[in-house]
Amino acid sequence: MTPMGMTAPSAQLTAFSPRVRFRRGVSVAFMVAALLAIAVSMIMLGALIVEIAVDGAARLFTDGAGVGREAGGGILTDLPTPAGMRWMTWALPVAILLPFVGPRLVNALAPGLPRIAERAMGVIVVAPVAIFVHILYVRFESAYYVEYARAVGIDGASGNIFQVLGEASGFQIVRLLVVGVLVPLAIVAAGWFGAQRMRRPSLIIPAIMIAGWVVYLFMDPWFLSSFPSRKPAEAGIFSAVTGTLYMMVITAAVAFPLGVGAALYLEEYARRNWFSRMIQVNISNLAGVPSIIYGLLGLQVFVRVLEFERSVLAGACTMALLVMPIIIVSAQEALRTVPPSMREAAYAVGATRWQMIRFHVLPYAFGGMLTGNILAMSRAIGETAPLIAIGALTFIAFLADSPTDDFTVLPIQIFNWVARPQAGFHEIAASAIIVLMVILLLMNAAAIIMRQRTRTDW
Amino acid sequence: MPRNFFTLMRSSAPAATDVPAATRSGHGTPPPNWTAEAATGVHLDASLEAVRHEITEEVDTALQLRDVSAFYGDFQAIDRMSMPIPRNRVTALIGPSGCGKSTLLRCCNRMNDLIPGARMDGEIEFEGRNLLDPNIDAVEVRRRIGMVFQKPNPFPKSIYENVAFGARINGYSGDMDRLVEDALRRAALWDEVRDELDKSGLALSGGQQQRLCIARAIAVQPEIILMDEPASALDPVATLKIEDLMRELAEEYTIVVVTHNMQQAGRVSDYTAFLLAGEERVGRLVEFGPTQDIFTNPLDQRTEDYITGRYG
Repeated sequence: MTPMGMTAPSAQLTAFSPRVRFRRGVSVAFMVAALLAIAVSMIMLGALIVEIAVDGAARLFTDGAGVGREAGGGILTDLPTPAGMRWMTWALPVAILLPFVGPRLVNALAPGLPRIAERAMGVIVVAPVAIFVHILYVRFESAYYVEYARAVGIDGASGNIFQVLGEASGFQIVRLLVVGVLVPLAIVAAGWFGAQRMRRPSLIIPAIMIAGWVVYLFMDPWFLSSFPSRKPAEAGIFSAVTGTLYMMVITAAVAFPLGVGAALYLEEYARRNWFSRMIQVNISNLAGVPSIIYGLLGLQVFVRVLEFERSVLAGACTMALLVMPIIIVSAQEALRTVPPSMREAAYAVGATRWQMIRFHVLPYAFGGMLTGNILAMSRAIGETAPLIAIGALTFIAFLADSPTDDFTVLPIQIFNWVARPQAGFHEIAASAIIVLMVILLLMNAAAIIMRQRTRTDW
Repeated sequence: MPRNFFTLMRSSAPAATDVPAATRSGHGTPPPNWTAEAATGVHLDASLEAVRHEITEEVDTALQLRDVSAFYGDFQAIDRMSMPIPRNRVTALIGPSGCGKSTLLRCCNRMNDLIPGARMDGEIEFEGRNLLDPNIDAVEVRRRIGMVFQKPNPFPKSIYENVAFGARINGYSGDMDRLVEDALRRAALWDEVRDELDKSGLALSGGQQQRLCIARAIAVQPEIILMDEPASALDPVATLKIEDLMRELAEEYTIVVVTHNMQQAGRVSDYTAFLLAGEERVGRLVEFGPTQDIFTNPLDQRTEDYITGRYG
């Protein structure tokens, strides 16, 4: 075997060749970047404390929170909110919990039953709930129809389900099928599988139900595609959902590289000394800082000093700081799962530290890092306090075109609606909560799937 | 016919027992304020001089170890070992657990650099340079002196990628398919995996994995291959294959193998070094020579006791 193309001369054994210097340069650059990531959040926190000490905390809010900025409502609407939505708000959590609670309930009530009895009991326990959901839904769909009929002046609307079906549009029929039939059936199936302790189906079935709910929402597309309104029946979450997604994308783009870089530095480059231990401890400390503090930090640093205004960018950067500790710690965990033997194997064929990381440690740990990132994002997606502090608005009747535009997010929209006196807003707030929960569950499901897919059995 | 253990300690031990080890060795840079005596609290010179059988054949030296010591923090793992590693031969390092075999092996390609707190002293001469010199590029050393580990550790990638990785990162620009095939052939694995090069390296059996690791090591065309108990995690059939492989590879490479298995050392190696740790757990070289001599005519009583199975 001829060593064609292989670098071989014995002179290369000596260090301080350009290659070695380059490698050390890479290592130093890496360290600087990672330290920067860690230092930024700590220094800014310090700066904030100084700012408070100098000016007093009250000054921070002089042009702060957007909540309450909008003119108060007070105008009751003439069109009702679809009643099904209100009831699904209750039925859904019950249905999701049942597959987990049902079998345990069965087991507690009558331990040691034969399998088939156990399954049957699972169904018996959950079937009433399914029937309940079904009846409730049909009843309220009928009531809605009656109300609607009265509003448009149809006489003799009794709310009989067959009459409803007879006059229903295609959309309504699908909605009836999905929510009135599919969801109760899914609950029964969840009880059946849950009783057998089959975790996968009993997880998948709630997922189907959630999908049913999403279908239902899309059958009523106004809610997802409308901007906020002073009338509950016309108010939607379009700007909140898009704002949330927009902010999450920027947050991930900022926090993931910095967080992974910091984790790589701490796990792979840093020597174990007092300095790296101090950084490690402080990362844990940062993870415990209340999120409102990050909000104040973001208000001072991003909104004021860097003059991002109350923009998507300011919100995303604040969120990035907030979730950075989570991303760092989970990325460190992921890096630690790569066994030392892999590192040795890479070194033993002449890999540099960066090659070892680039071709082995990173790819093997990437799934875990992504999982951590998604979980961090699902923390960020529900955060309200920091965004209120930086003054995110609640009434946004347009879509953000650029990262410097004003924005709102789901939790803020929900917070605002819940704080209003009209019952109609409370109902759409409940619906918005479900949308938020669906997004959260989808993200967590993605994290679980990714973790399973990328797991290597060493 | 048991001879008294203590009378057999080399009477030729240097007289300068009160001279600190680091200054006495005369090689490398002694760590400041350090002496072997201070670190371990014992006089180390009593049996330092190892028995060396005469090497009768004409053979080049691939590595020349001179007074190699290794430390993990304050703990001294091996103490001033000196011996040659003959080129294109299999050299076995034998001895009971904890005698520093693996440490010595890992000194030879600077693998110990990766362990925090590890440091080495002395000199390992390779192509006229001292590998332990801090100015030597450890990455290049590891490229030229490959290693196979005790537990097969293929990357969780395809068989092809496992073999190609080393060559790729070292800037190999030739025909990669040929290189992979060649390496797999030399590792006696080609016939078993030729149709499934895309399969994960982890899907192979233990013995196949270890041969894959050997293929991976030879794909970067090293001059020396260090093997740290390469067959200890394998069944007898797989072990036999690895041993055959070692014999074949010795025609082209210099092989240093650590083994717990004396029969294995006897079967595969041309030269044998017997290492032993004293009560203070510091490993020292006891006897070095052609395997034949060591096994048939051990000069040191401890070697004889070990290879006849009285301890270890």
